[in-house]
Amino acid sequence: MKGNSRTKAAVLAVSALVILGLAAVPALAKDTLTIANIYDARSLDPIIQNEVAASGAICHINETLIDLDAVGNPVPLLAETFEQIDPTTYKFTLRKGVKFHNGDPFTAADMLYTIDRAKSPLGSAIKQYPEIIESAEAPDDYTVIIKIKYPFTPFWGTMAHTSLAVVNKRAVEEKGDMYPLNPVGTGPFFMKEWVKNDKLVLERFEDYWGKKPEYKTLVMRSVPESVNRTIELETGAVDIAYKIPTADVSRVKDNKDLGVIGAFEHSVTYMGFNCEKEPWNNPKVREAVKLALDINGARHAVFRGTSLTPVSIVPPTIKYTDKDLPAPARNLEKAKQLLAEAGVKLPLKAQIWSNAYKPRVDLAQIFQAQLKEVGIEVEAKVLEWGAYLDGLKLGDHDMFILGWVISSVDPDGIMSGIIHTKGGSNYSRFYNDEVDKLIDQGKTMPDGPEREKVYMDLQKMLAELNPVLYLYNEESFYGIRNNVDNFVPSPRGYHNLTGVTFK
Amino acid sequence: MIKYIFKRILSLIPVMLGVAFIVFTLLYLTPGDPARIVLGDQATEEALHEFREKEGLNDPFLVQFGNYVWKAVTRGDIGRSYMTRRSVANEIMSAFPSTLKLALSCVIAAIILGVPIGILSAIRQNSLFDNVTRFLAMVGLSMPVFWQGVLLILLFSVKLRWFPSSGFDTWATLVLPTLTLACNPLAVITRMTRSSMLEVVRQDYIRTARAKGQSERIVIWRHALGNALIPIVTVIGLQFGTLLAGAVLTESIFSIPGVGRLMVDAIKMRDYPVVQGGVLFIAITFSFVNLMVDLLYAWVDPRIRAQYK
Repeated sequence: MKGNSRTKAAVLAVSALVILGLAAVPALAKDTLTIANIYDARSLDPIIQNEVAASGAICHINETLIDLDAVGNPVPLLAETFEQIDPTTYKFTLRKGVKFHNGDPFTAADMLYTIDRAKSPLGSAIKQYPEIIESAEAPDDYTVIIKIKYPFTPFWGTMAHTSLAVVNKRAVEEKGDMYPLNPVGTGPFFMKEWVKNDKLVLERFEDYWGKKPEYKTLVMRSVPESVNRTIELETGAVDIAYKIPTADVSRVKDNKDLGVIGAFEHSVTYMGFNCEKEPWNNPKVREAVKLALDINGARHAVFRGTSLTPVSIVPPTIKYTDKDLPAPARNLEKAKQLLAEAGVKLPLKAQIWSNAYKPRVDLAQIFQAQLKEVGIEVEAKVLEWGAYLDGLKLGDHDMFILGWVISSVDPDGIMSGIIHTKGGSNYSRFYNDEVDKLIDQGKTMPDGPEREKVYMDLQKMLAELNPVLYLYNEESFYGIRNNVDNFVPSPRGYHNLTGVTFK
Repeated sequence: MIKYIFKRILSLIPVMLGVAFIVFTLLYLTPGDPARIVLGDQATEEALHEFREKEGLNDPFLVQFGNYVWKAVTRGDIGRSYMTRRSVANEIMSAFPSTLKLALSCVIAAIILGVPIGILSAIRQNSLFDNVTRFLAMVGLSMPVFWQGVLLILLFSVKLRWFPSSGFDTWATLVLPTLTLACNPLAVITRMTRSSMLEVVRQDYIRTARAKGQSERIVIWRHALGNALIPIVTVIGLQFGTLLAGAVLTESIFSIPGVGRLMVDAIKMRDYPVVQGGVLFIAITFSFVNLMVDLLYAWVDPRIRAQYK
């Protein structure tokens, strides 16, 4: 304990060094594109996590055999050509001369390894995608034959999902546990630096097989506060800010250096009824609620006129959506009459559950006021996400507000997920044999007018039976600086930025 | 002295076991199935089951807890994050430097400003300076971090454009979070210094020192401050410990990848291993800081030092 002052000085000096030590100024030249997203990827291993933030990063590093265009049709990526040989067999001919970031050539063996790995217990988070695959084989270095368990039309969507993005066997085995921090792929960018929850820095891969990005460095920052994303855009610290809140849209629009792009995703938010429970098991009561609500007005108020009120469960970005179904219209008299016909004793007490996502809470409160007019006294209950899902599983609920994202880019995604009796998220407990039969049929039929008819029929039936009411297709806003060009948000919710250019 | 330190470290064991048990029980009782949250809406029942089996979530409570403690003690393994599949120790260690950087800069700022202001306030008790300081300290204590952070961003990032509003890589990014977060410890340290000094300056030995003809500077800095230091060191230690546990709000306002954000994210996603590991880590950090504070007592106070000999 001698030499106190010297020790104190040393402590101070070390502390000062720690604080100032990492003062490395990032280069912000024109060859760097910086974007601000809400979240950081949880892992850069394609099979660890099923989330938009991870897919948005991985799609720049690892590539799939095929990609989907805006309407969900397959387009070539690492596979030069592809075809469906019979209802359960697909053939992919791989591109030659493709290199991984570590210099290894890309061959069919890598794809087989990728599929095996995705199907292993390590891939439990994304299991639903490769699960359909029965077997995969490689007759030669550049051909992959995949057999699936049963005819499954949305299979192209499976193959285009980032969970089946090709990884390099040698890199995965060498890096072991550290692989998610050091991913290796064939994509247009390789990973340079990753400070978790702060920023991911990707660098252009000079040996990329396709069209290389015009800029050199891609920085993906995670900025959870929406106010900060807007501010960072205004101050020029980022070039593109994801998910600008509706309240900030006009402020960004009014700024002469900035622009706003609105985009819809393959998603719908709905209010489900507990169709197993009295009185919601009666379709008349469900219809009465639909007529008592002014869904369009509520959506207008909550989203300040943006977003859309759906007419169908199938979002407008997905094929076979029925745009001609009648829009929801309020009719209090008819609602009261239906309630009377159903023999419901008024006032009817009920709950609407939602998680804490603001638009959902706001909608539940508006509905509370609207339903009161027909004698339904609703309590709007906000639950924490884990408790919410648990409660829905137990089936104590009356009505609930939930969203669904269709990652397979096919109407089957939502039908099999939330409407089919066996649907993992059929929280409305809607069990209808006829509907199930149509869903099973649509899943296996080849695309074409017959398949279209199945989904048209399904949408009409659901509009009459009302197991769920469709509340909104949310519009997402992207703020961009005016010198940024060719940024096209994808309805999948994650965006490939390879083609972005500077003016 | 060494024996004392050793004893203190040993006493951490029951503390850690207790903390682990409480966290484990609370998480066990919290609604929300980790399998469903981690695997997402579209996961199949089979996948959910597989996940629960693999993570031992189907085991009885005591078996789960026993396994956890056993692995932690024998292998130093406190689990693997459900979300990232990385070891929890890695997760925490990659978040800790940011939190440490922020905590150090806040504490240093709070000490450099708080102690002199507190002393001046005490010497000039009831003067205009003292009143203004006390008022400002009250404001500093009561200001909500969230509101203050946003105000600072509006002024310094949006209007003046002096400092960036988020990120954590250059010294400039440290300024606004430090300003936001240091207010509270600054106010506490100022008030504690003031009241502790007020108590000491009335003591006989101060009068004696003055009577000896010592210069006022030496009277205040050596005789008074030296004796007033113990409670000040205590609050500094407590504040530092709290800051090291992660400043959840500040970290999310300024997008700082620290322990607070890691924990909140883990709690939301029911990433039990990370929550457990994180709480244990915070408990250890806090105990360690407390130990340091006790050792500092010995440094600043010869009477305490004498006890250890």
